[in-house]
Amino acid sequence: MRRLIWLLLVVVAVSLAACAQATPAPTEAPKPTEAPKPTEAPKPTEAPKPTEAPAFEPLVVTDESCESSKVKEIKALDEYTVQFTLCKPDPAFLAKIAFQPFFIRPREWIEANANEANKETLLTQPVGTGPYKIEKWFRGDKIVFKRFEDYWGEPAKTETLVFRWAKEGAQRLLELQAGTADYITKVSPDDFETVKNDPNLVLLPVRNPNIFYIAFINTVKPFDDVRVRRAIAMGIDRERIVKNYYPEGSEVADFFTPCVIENGCVGEPWYSFDPEAANKLLDEVGLTKNDEGVRFETKIYYRDVFRVYLPEPSKVAVEIQNQLMENLGIKAEVIVMESGEFIAKSTAGELDGLYLLGWGADYLHVTNFLDFHFSKNNPQYGEPYPEIYEPLEKAATIADPEEARPYYEEANNAIRELVPMIPVAHGAAADAARADVKNAKAAVLGPPELWTFEPEGRDTLVYLKAAEPISLYCADETDGESLDACKMVTEGLYQYTADGEMVPRLAEKCEITENSTVVTCTLRKGVKFHDGSTLDANDVVRSFDALLNEASPYHVGNTGAFEYPSYFFGLMNKQE
Amino acid sequence: MTTTTAERVLGARERPTSPWQLALRRLLRHRSGLVGGGIILFLLFVALFAPLLAPYDPNDVLLGKEEGIRRRQKPCIYLLGCPKDQPQHIMGLDGNARDVFSRVIYGTRVSLFVGFTTVTVAILAGTVLGAVAGYVGGWVDNLIMRFMDVLLAFPALLLAIAIVTVLGRGLQNALLAIAIVSTPVYARVVRASVLSVKEREFVLAARALGASHLLILVKHILPNSLPPLIVQATLGIATAILDAAALSFLGLGAQPPTAEWGSMLGEERNQVFTAPHLVFFPGLAIMITVLAFNLLGDALRDALDPRLHQE
Repeated sequence: MRRLIWLLLVVVAVSLAACAQATPAPTEAPKPTEAPKPTEAPKPTEAPKPTEAPAFEPLVVTDESCESSKVKEIKALDEYTVQFTLCKPDPAFLAKIAFQPFFIRPREWIEANANEANKETLLTQPVGTGPYKIEKWFRGDKIVFKRFEDYWGEPAKTETLVFRWAKEGAQRLLELQAGTADYITKVSPDDFETVKNDPNLVLLPVRNPNIFYIAFINTVKPFDDVRVRRAIAMGIDRERIVKNYYPEGSEVADFFTPCVIENGCVGEPWYSFDPEAANKLLDEVGLTKNDEGVRFETKIYYRDVFRVYLPEPSKVAVEIQNQLMENLGIKAEVIVMESGEFIAKSTAGELDGLYLLGWGADYLHVTNFLDFHFSKNNPQYGEPYPEIYEPLEKAATIADPEEARPYYEEANNAIRELVPMIPVAHGAAADAARADVKNAKAAVLGPPELWTFEPEGRDTLVYLKAAEPISLYCADETDGESLDACKMVTEGLYQYTADGEMVPRLAEKCEITENSTVVTCTLRKGVKFHDGSTLDANDVVRSFDALLNEASPYHVGNTGAFEYPSYFFGLMNKQE
Repeated sequence: MTTTTAERVLGARERPTSPWQLALRRLLRHRSGLVGGGIILFLLFVALFAPLLAPYDPNDVLLGKEEGIRRRQKPCIYLLGCPKDQPQHIMGLDGNARDVFSRVIYGTRVSLFVGFTTVTVAILAGTVLGAVAGYVGGWVDNLIMRFMDVLLAFPALLLAIAIVTVLGRGLQNALLAIAIVSTPVYARVVRASVLSVKEREFVLAARALGASHLLILVKHILPNSLPPLIVQATLGIATAILDAAALSFLGLGAQPPTAEWGSMLGEERNQVFTAPHLVFFPGLAIMITVLAFNLLGDALRDALDPRLHQE
């Protein structure tokens, strides 16, 4: 009986407690003033009709300070007009945004995925307006793309595009020969003949603008004397290097910038090979030969990494070592360095000798070559040369190439006179394809236009590169493999054609006004993203906000470094 | 003149030979040992007379000096069908148009130098450490041998790579690294011999006669530890040559333009399909040299180990 009473008491107590929880305490209850007023609720008449599109609310991103970035404001003027306001004129603005990191993604997709929680989607499931959309990324194996049927332009010729990778050139060639790949990149120069002699294959020369140079640091003796630098410039037989160590199609460099780039090779061409004059100059300096025929000893630093501008680094290093001794009596020790350490030390001007380095174009504008290498903030040649960087600074404020030409000529002549480096070669490379792939053509910059390729009798195109992409969110990537894949899926306001011509893509046109500081772009209408949404100006603003504005909540990427945006424009609202 | 009883009994012709003479006799009967020894003698000859044997300077870039040559040219031998008017390069030209045959010949010098130097250094260090450890015993033995155990715990090549990474690239540092990683083996061998010899009667007798520790070690104990050390050293040279080639292959040993077999292999490893002669000849040279030292080492072990000859 006592147990029953206890049980009843417990049941009553539990019931009371439950009632107490169900009824909020007065202090917890929302205050009447905090409750939404009935008048604030949307009236049925005010609610948007299902058939009506929501009103366009333009986005804007600003950095009035202009301290960390060259971009002051990015603003959607209306649904199809975007305006970029720059802090100072940038004649290469359109050339820069034609590069994959600046390609456009839907605003809603960025807002949903540019965060730590959805980073995997951000990095691996790109959404763009490109001719292909991603089907699946089989990590470590391949990436499969499918034709985007609602593409605004001419649809892709094959239904399926497969990206695969093989590190060794020999393996890529074997796959091409076997027919398991339709297009391969970076054919080894030793295999050029093999490809040419195979009727089932076709060799496709790549004219990617690049430069290989031998650099001096003018704070290191005896290279602090311009006559020594000039003597070495005259004492190196560059033609012999290019003829013997570079593949067919490579050229001896007479200027730092390749001639394919406007204003790249204006001014006096480089010194011709003249060992006699070179030795005379060294004698004048007082660097005479000792009993062993040696004037002085130095070092040649390089990294043993294949690049189109330097396909055989160790061989070229030994050739230069040999030429220095034979032609000039300069004894050089060849030192191979780990790639990362070499780049860090050479670009910081911390190597006590000559070093072998090069550059490949990111965008087709002379600023990408000259301004980056010879600006007053670049210590890679030791003390900067005002004779070079001053005309470059003047040229950088002029949009009209013809008007800027005299300044580039002045800078090129100063480079020749002061010899901060010796331009040696513009290296050629080649891709290869199966002979039955119609329209196969290598691009000047970036990947080929694979969506135009037609493999005979096949609806799948297999593209074989040297490595797997790191991620497919290219705003925050720098590797060529990622950038290639991004170009299949996403598009920019402007883009380069396979011939290197810069053409409007998602923009119908961009107008540059107000002394080259305001760029107004009108967007193409009716362009669909892979998720079904339609391209508008806010997509452009949000895309640039995510990659360029450090204060944006959407400034999230693979590493967070955003190297290209940072290097091209500087990040907006950067926190020190 | 006096004669011992044994000599009187056996006669002059049947005089017992010394263990060294017996070992030499056994070695001369060892065919593979003779082959190994012969190859080593040949290699020593090539190394000593390299400037006379090599037709070109090993670092001479022949571009522009000889007509009709190109980089990575295949071997050109008149007797094997190569036109007579073409420059004869019996092992072809390398990626810098240098004569591979001359580089292989000069590479012999580097490889033998590496082998002998590193083993000599390692033997000296190992002998001192092993002898002290074995003779003194106690905590000294423990300290030295535990340190040797630590060195032995790492794969030799990996440890050598680590040492070169710290000291910097180059042949000298590679030599030092290989010597360091080889030392524990010799220390162990010497210590084991010292332990077995130091309690024998002649050592106790020397001690009783008041000989100093150093004298006992140098005069009585170490000479009796020599046979296993010689065997180990011969095999050690082969290992040292291989390690040096591996370091140079990885770009950590000999630096360009030094003609070293490992670096010759490493520089042209990507040409294995297009110009196989560039990896074949240095590879063959390494193989033959290592094989020769191994054959000789095995023969020496057979000849010097009394347990194998207790007939």
